[in-house]
Amino acid sequence: MEQNTAAAVKPKRAKKPSQTSGMSRALVRRETISAYCFLAPALVFFVAFVVIPMFICVFYSLFDYSLGGINGFVGLDNYIQLFQDPVFHKGLINTIIIVLVAVPAVTAFSLWVGSAIYRMNAFTRSFFRCVFYLPVVTGSVAITVVWKWILDPYNGILNQLIGTNGYNWLGEGKTALACIILILFTTSIGQPIVLYVAALGNVDNSIIEAAQVDGATKLQVFWKIKWPAIMPTTLYVLVITTINSFQCFALIQLMTRGGPMNATMTIMYQVYDSAYRLYDLGYANAIGVILAIIIAIFSAIQFKVAKTD
Amino acid sequence: MSANTATKKMNKHVDLTGTSTGYKVFVVIVLILVSIFFLFPLYWIVTGSFKPQLEITSRVPIWFPMEPTTDNYARLFEHPAFLWLFNIVFISGMAMVLTCITASLAGYALAKKRFIGRAVLFTIIICAMALPKQVIVIPLNQEMTNIFHLNDTLWAVILPTVGWPFGVFLMKQFAETIPTEILEAARVDGAGELRTFMTVVLPMIKPGIGALAIFTFVNTWNDYFLQLVMLNSEEVWTLPLGIAKLQGEMSSDFGLIMAGAALASIPIIVVFIAFQKYFTQGIAMGAVKG
Amino acid sequence: MKLKRILALAMAAAMALSITACGGGDESTPSGSQPSGSQPSGGGAVTLTVASFNIGGFTDSAAWEPIIEAFNAQNPDVTIEILPVTYQDGDQQLANLIAGGNAPDVVFEGPERIIGNYANEGLLVDLSDLWEGVTDIPESISSVSQLDGTYYMYPLSVAAHCMAINYEAFEAAGALQYIDEETRTWTTDDFVAACEALKAAMDAGTITMAETGIIYCGAQGGDQGTRALVNNLYSDYYVTEDGSSYNANSANNVKALELLQGMVDEGTMGVSTSYAAADELQAFANGTCAMTFCWNYSNYSQYAAQTQFTPFAMAFPSDDGVPELEMAGPYGLCVFDNGDQAKIDAAKEFVKFVCDDQTAGVEAVKTTGFFPAHEGWGDIYEGDETRAPFSLMSEYLGRYYSLTPGWVAQRALWWPMLQAIMGTGADVQTAADDYVAQANAGMAG
Repeated sequence: MEQNTAAAVKPKRAKKPSQTSGMSRALVRRETISAYCFLAPALVFFVAFVVIPMFICVFYSLFDYSLGGINGFVGLDNYIQLFQDPVFHKGLINTIIIVLVAVPAVTAFSLWVGSAIYRMNAFTRSFFRCVFYLPVVTGSVAITVVWKWILDPYNGILNQLIGTNGYNWLGEGKTALACIILILFTTSIGQPIVLYVAALGNVDNSIIEAAQVDGATKLQVFWKIKWPAIMPTTLYVLVITTINSFQCFALIQLMTRGGPMNATMTIMYQVYDSAYRLYDLGYANAIGVILAIIIAIFSAIQFKVAKTD
Repeated sequence: MSANTATKKMNKHVDLTGTSTGYKVFVVIVLILVSIFFLFPLYWIVTGSFKPQLEITSRVPIWFPMEPTTDNYARLFEHPAFLWLFNIVFISGMAMVLTCITASLAGYALAKKRFIGRAVLFTIIICAMALPKQVIVIPLNQEMTNIFHLNDTLWAVILPTVGWPFGVFLMKQFAETIPTEILEAARVDGAGELRTFMTVVLPMIKPGIGALAIFTFVNTWNDYFLQLVMLNSEEVWTLPLGIAKLQGEMSSDFGLIMAGAALASIPIIVVFIAFQKYFTQGIAMGAVKG
Repeated sequence: MKLKRILALAMAAAMALSITACGGGDESTPSGSQPSGSQPSGGGAVTLTVASFNIGGFTDSAAWEPIIEAFNAQNPDVTIEILPVTYQDGDQQLANLIAGGNAPDVVFEGPERIIGNYANEGLLVDLSDLWEGVTDIPESISSVSQLDGTYYMYPLSVAAHCMAINYEAFEAAGALQYIDEETRTWTTDDFVAACEALKAAMDAGTITMAETGIIYCGAQGGDQGTRALVNNLYSDYYVTEDGSSYNANSANNVKALELLQGMVDEGTMGVSTSYAAADELQAFANGTCAMTFCWNYSNYSQYAAQTQFTPFAMAFPSDDGVPELEMAGPYGLCVFDNGDQAKIDAAKEFVKFVCDDQTAGVEAVKTTGFFPAHEGWGDIYEGDETRAPFSLMSEYLGRYYSLTPGWVAQRALWWPMLQAIMGTGADVQTAADDYVAQANAGMAG
């Protein structure tokens, strides 16, 4: 095939910088062709099932689109409606609360557990790692349904234990969101702990020993030596936890459906709710577009931070 | 301070962080308490699945099934639970295999080839990575129905999962660690593109593929949303979806639901514990490189 | 080595496949129309998809089999495929199918969705020809089977939504004196007194319930129960007489809501802002609460095996002792316009068979657990003791609201209002005014 001969004829490739500069045109073309051949399988799926639907989604968001079909172009009306919709405001605030509470909590706690267990003997270490990872492999639906039982006002073990019979954890605005965040926390923490244990294990021991000989305190060792060394891991943990928190859906759909009084409504859930309960597909797509933009902004900030550090 | 340092040096194999015994005891106690908190839901699923209706709805705590029964499982198997289990294994497994193939090919190209449009493509991939599936599900469903005629089949879940660009991103990170010199050496030897990939690249990114495989499998298994919107008929439901639907219909028939949850989680937990080493290694590797 | 070659082949195949797929994809527009053309349906065999909500015994889709068999004996060319959908997420499934251009041919549900959603969106076929010559369907049903004078639904069965009490618990609490066991009615004062008696018995440990009843307001379905409770207490309606406004803020409805709020405060009535109707029913079946506000024959049969007590069907309490119950259903079928006349004709044939055939139709009605829409069929449950209470309830049927404009949006507002009033003790008049303002705004849209 073409790549074969290309490689044979031009065995030595120029040492390239990051871009295609300094390469002959023919070489660029050959590289491009062979690269796209490798990329093709992934691109087919990516374009067909992510990129195209994304464009259609933006397109729909400009229409009055309900179950019966498209009823006409409305321009930015869906977006204008969005900014006046109290449910959307509530959802936006809740989404931000979930992200702002869950992400730091998961990161800090997993770092603490990671530091606490990475020096333990292999068996204890894998025991704890395993325990914290269990909710992830148990599956979000299984975890959600068992928590729903635990929190049930009458038959749930929690009320029976602490003697608050009849208290409705998921039915009170005060506690519903807290419960959602807590359960999200238990299902998010496994992976960061595994990552931190590995990252801390890779920190060079000789530097730490040397620092301790020089009289560095425990805190100094942590902030001056370990923290910079595990920085890439921390950033990675932040990114995946943020995405996870934004995307938490099963928890809300199965436990509260956004209630009570929208206390657990998130933007994510509102997309689903508008489309499938209210049949307002154009509006749902508009919310989706806004959600995508919000997540893009969050990710961009995190990638910026990652670059500057 | 110096005396303190001396003790630390002596204990360095046990503890390099210079913590007092009191703190260590505190740590262990907290860890054990939190572990109980994490293990409890699983314990509750398993014991709950064997409790008779009366114990399930008891208003005082019943820590262990007094009169264990398999009735909940009998009622679960009135539904095609094994078919649902097969469906979710098939979806996760197929998505895993396809993602590993497409992502390792593409990741290698993105990392090691200099081609026109690379920067743009990479940016698009990064952007799309954070995109939630909920956003595009309406057009996606229409596409599945009208263009591919795959609506209400397991493929309607598998294909979009494979399209998700996270795998490409991860494999790019791995492929970047391949020294360019080795690739050039292969070329000097007259190896074609495909052979270079098979004999040189693949062995080097094998651990990465392992990590990606685990990731994809677990994430697909847990991707309740896509299953919910793509799978309509009972024959194509997955076990997590089936449990969710049972919960909707039967409401607080927790015994039945716990039996379903146990069936959905125990197999994957057993696999997880058996392969724990590879699991954790794979995950850790993904991050170290990423 | 062998393995590697196989792998290499697989990779190459994947690449080749994707490339051809990609190339083909570019020009797929002309060939894209082929699949629809490749299923010719003129004259020959037709396959119909029937989306069946979980109404009574049809929760188990196997219940359709004998009916389909009987239908196929007369129409061997038509294949019927049942798509079971639930109230839990049926809306989502159907939205997906309809928006995906893959709508079912027939849907089995009530006017709320058939007329309010599908007919309103212009998705249905005119069924007026099925109605020709039909005389034994009461006006209350025929009037809700149409939109702007055109029939879009053909009804099968009907029932009344009522409530039920735990007979033994009432007996133990000495509360049976407050109900009329003959007519199964009670006044508002009786209801309050019964709840107080139950509460006293609970406090004394005579009965082991957690709540007398649970006002469930966790959204999703079953709202007819809470609606009927509120509206009956002081004999008012959910929608004003002329249908131009929602009515929760009327003097009597506010009075009713305030009464319930007061009962919740005193603990003589429970509330759960996370429970849906199904949760409340399960709590009733478990003996967690002494009454349910969401009862009908279908629920009775579904929970009968689980209950360890006698669920005693009751009408909703009313200050004048004359309850007005909401119609469950009427459940019927509609035909979607999927642009294929052969399918439409076959679908109509099927609808007519299910609802009009004296054998299959009776079978179908019995499966729903309700009563036939055809009054001419008489008492199909003759001699069946368990049906008698529900047959009695049918006599209390009141007005039908579910076709009021803005119905779907309004349902989403009703729950938060209840949650605010019962859960957080919000001012009733304010919350009700707020609800009516928003619900009426939805009427226009």
